[in-house]
Amino acid sequence: MKKILLNRDFILFSIILIILIAVGFANPLFITPKSISDVLTDTSILIILALSQMIVILIRAIDLSVASNLALSGMLISLLSTVHPELPVYYFIALSCVIGTTLGVLNGISIAILKVPFIVTTLGTLSIYRGLIYFVSDGKQVYSNEFSEDFLALIHFKFLSLSFLFWLAVVVFIIIYVLLNHTRFGRNLYSLGGNPDAAKYIGVNENKYIIMAYSLSGFFAGLCGYLWVARYSVASTQIAIGFELTVISACVVGGISVMGGVGTVLGCVLGALLIGLIRNALPAVDISQFWQLAISGAIILLAIIINTKTEQRKEKTIMVEN
Amino acid sequence: MKLELKNISKNFHGVKALQNVDFQLQENSIHALLGENGAGKSTLVKILCGVYQPDSGIINLNNKQQSIPDPSASLSLGISAIHQESVMFDELSVTENVFIGNHITKSNGLVDWGLMQDKTNQLLKDLEANIEPNEKIKDLSIAQRHIVQISRSLIHDADIVIMDEPTASLSQKEINELYTIIRNLKKQDKSIIFISHKLDEVIEVCDDFTVLRDGELIKSDTIQNTNKDQLITYMAGREVNQIFPKNNVTIENEIFEVRNLFKKTQFKDINFNLRKKEILGFYGLVGSGRTEIMKSIFGITKLDEGEILFKDQKILIRKPSDAIDQGIVYLSEERQQLGMTGLMSVKDNINMAVMDRNSNFYVMNKLKEIKNSSAMQEKLNIKVSYWSQLTQSLSGGNQQKTVIAKWLSTKPEVLILDEPTKGIDVRSKSAVHEFMGELVEEGMSIMMISSELPEILGMCDRVVVMYKGLIKDILNVKEASSEQIVKLASGES
Ligand SMILES: Nc1ncnc2c1ncn2[C@@H]1O[C@H](COP(=O)(O)OP(=O)(O)OP(=O)(O)O)[C@@H](O)[C@H]1O
Ligand SMILES: [Mg+2]
Repeated sequence: MKKILLNRDFILFSIILIILIAVGFANPLFITPKSISDVLTDTSILIILALSQMIVILIRAIDLSVASNLALSGMLISLLSTVHPELPVYYFIALSCVIGTTLGVLNGISIAILKVPFIVTTLGTLSIYRGLIYFVSDGKQVYSNEFSEDFLALIHFKFLSLSFLFWLAVVVFIIIYVLLNHTRFGRNLYSLGGNPDAAKYIGVNENKYIIMAYSLSGFFAGLCGYLWVARYSVASTQIAIGFELTVISACVVGGISVMGGVGTVLGCVLGALLIGLIRNALPAVDISQFWQLAISGAIILLAIIINTKTEQRKEKTIMVEN
Repeated sequence: MKLELKNISKNFHGVKALQNVDFQLQENSIHALLGENGAGKSTLVKILCGVYQPDSGIINLNNKQQSIPDPSASLSLGISAIHQESVMFDELSVTENVFIGNHITKSNGLVDWGLMQDKTNQLLKDLEANIEPNEKIKDLSIAQRHIVQISRSLIHDADIVIMDEPTASLSQKEINELYTIIRNLKKQDKSIIFISHKLDEVIEVCDDFTVLRDGELIKSDTIQNTNKDQLITYMAGREVNQIFPKNNVTIENEIFEVRNLFKKTQFKDINFNLRKKEILGFYGLVGSGRTEIMKSIFGITKLDEGEILFKDQKILIRKPSDAIDQGIVYLSEERQQLGMTGLMSVKDNINMAVMDRNSNFYVMNKLKEIKNSSAMQEKLNIKVSYWSQLTQSLSGGNQQKTVIAKWLSTKPEVLILDEPTKGIDVRSKSAVHEFMGELVEEGMSIMMISSELPEILGMCDRVVVMYKGLIKDILNVKEASSEQIVKLASGES
């Protein structure tokens, strides 16, 4: 029992519940099923990106370029859809993923083969990918009326009155869960992040794993590129700007250690949910814009502190009590 | 012939770690690979494991020439190794550490946790190890980690099992169990390469031996044709007297005492005292609570109850720096993790804890530093290839000696040593013992945890024997017999 109470994921879950209840008291409208389902929809992209960022953080790296990657992929398919509105939507989705993956592979190659440190690489591609959006779009926006109906329809699909985005996030959660916990690839990511020197001895090819992790991060950024433009029905140079920081804080709140090798998939999702909840809840209880930022920062910090405090070392029993 | 190495050479930036070494491993045999610290043993192992590539030379496996480009190639050729440095993943479970890099998968490609768990459980039972497969490695003691490493190499079902100092931190009982395992492996038609500095044991279990010195092959033969003294001479290049120097000092008044130390689930009713110029030994099975007591005396962990008296004054130690300020120093068993900074030179490591003594008004006095470190280096026979060599690229034994030198430099009043000579060669071992003798003469008092009975009997004045967190007895070494001590330590009588 004590073990469950001290479990990081459980604590995070409790914090989420407490916030939900507190906000519910202040504004009962916030905890209606409709409103909660809106929050979930709103957080889905964050969940997907946090999960893919987690893969990178597990191996002691970070992908700062995800938001730019998302925006560039989204812009490219939006531009294409204005020229070829007749193409089916899955075509655009696949293309967006391919573009995203390619951008991710470029990150991976720069880090693994060219040995440019990951911070430098992804900070660089953060600006480069963002800059390319200006280049391809001439700084113009693609507006909702320019997208084909087909392009936007999928996002409005609902099942059990929950949105497509939400269900997609659930699918991604399951995929990443299985990938990280039940495949050799996933387990080797943990070993590489936990002890890179030792991973060499057991034959984990570090470069291969770096490139794979960044490709996956790129793939999901690309996927979210489509999701983002379709959901907000607009593609501009500014979309998702700064979103990489939200994604990384979701991971950190979720207990994914930036030292590598530690973190659960469930924790990551809960971290994203907590952040999504705060962002939605604070406006709902009439807190001024300025305080919103400060409060959400404080809650994030608090979650992290509670999280690390519970990470206590268990001691071996030597003596049988007599 | 199972395995044959011909003319293997390996350089590290001009350091000749191996020069034209030949090595032959017979089918179904236990082969001892011997040599002093820095002789090149681990380098040879790493070449066989695909961690290093030889600069020249060939490897024949089952009479077929092979190259071993990476660790997975080595595994698939049926070679598996327990390395000298820990190849463990702290945050992962025991099961996973056993199977790491080699997870069992189901037909659908997913990892078969259930089966791995069962196999680990079975293996740990066979080894009579009291370890839960679900536990994280970071919660295990050093000896238990060792057992996990051993399990890992057993699970691979390799033809050739290499053990680079597997017994360094085990006590006699566990060592005997390990030998049973090794002999069983041999019965299953496997070949074993065994690296150890404990020559008595080597002679007992091994069939053949190869001695390296400074990267060169000195001698290879069957064990029957040699004896301990000859092996030492091969290794050192000259005769070495390895008698434990009895310290003939007059023991003075009590300087340090603990009363009723108690820590939940760890130890209780711990009472002992230490007199000036005394060496007090601590003997017991690995995991009997010796290290835990010292850690809490030194302030690394917290005591639940009990008092510590130093020079008849009650003292409060909340953190290690409190103890150091009092003049009490603890040389941890986990030296590589806790004791050294791998990216510093040997000199800087040795001087790290005595910076204030070697400085004038906060400016480091280089001359004093160099004097101190070279004196230590010479005394403990620390072998570096060039003066600025980073500590992390030293051989395992030389890293150990560096940390010992660092703490001995502080010249404390009470020195706590935890397995001070594990993993270091015979010659350096007697150097450490001699040094301990000198320190005591100068007025230091020492508490020494050791799992080597000869070391305890040779060096100590009294010995505290522990079993499962309790002190069984405190014996005068002169009057105690080794059987008596071993019996007490295993809970009999
Ligand atoms: N990566 C490296 N870079 C530079 N020198 C190295 C490196 N690895 C080993 N050496 C040097 O090669 C020599 C042989 O080292 P090795 O680790 O093989 O010794 P060993 O026989 O295993 O000794 P020990 O008994 O202390 O473990 C040493 O002089 C060491 O300093
Ligand atoms: Mg070695």
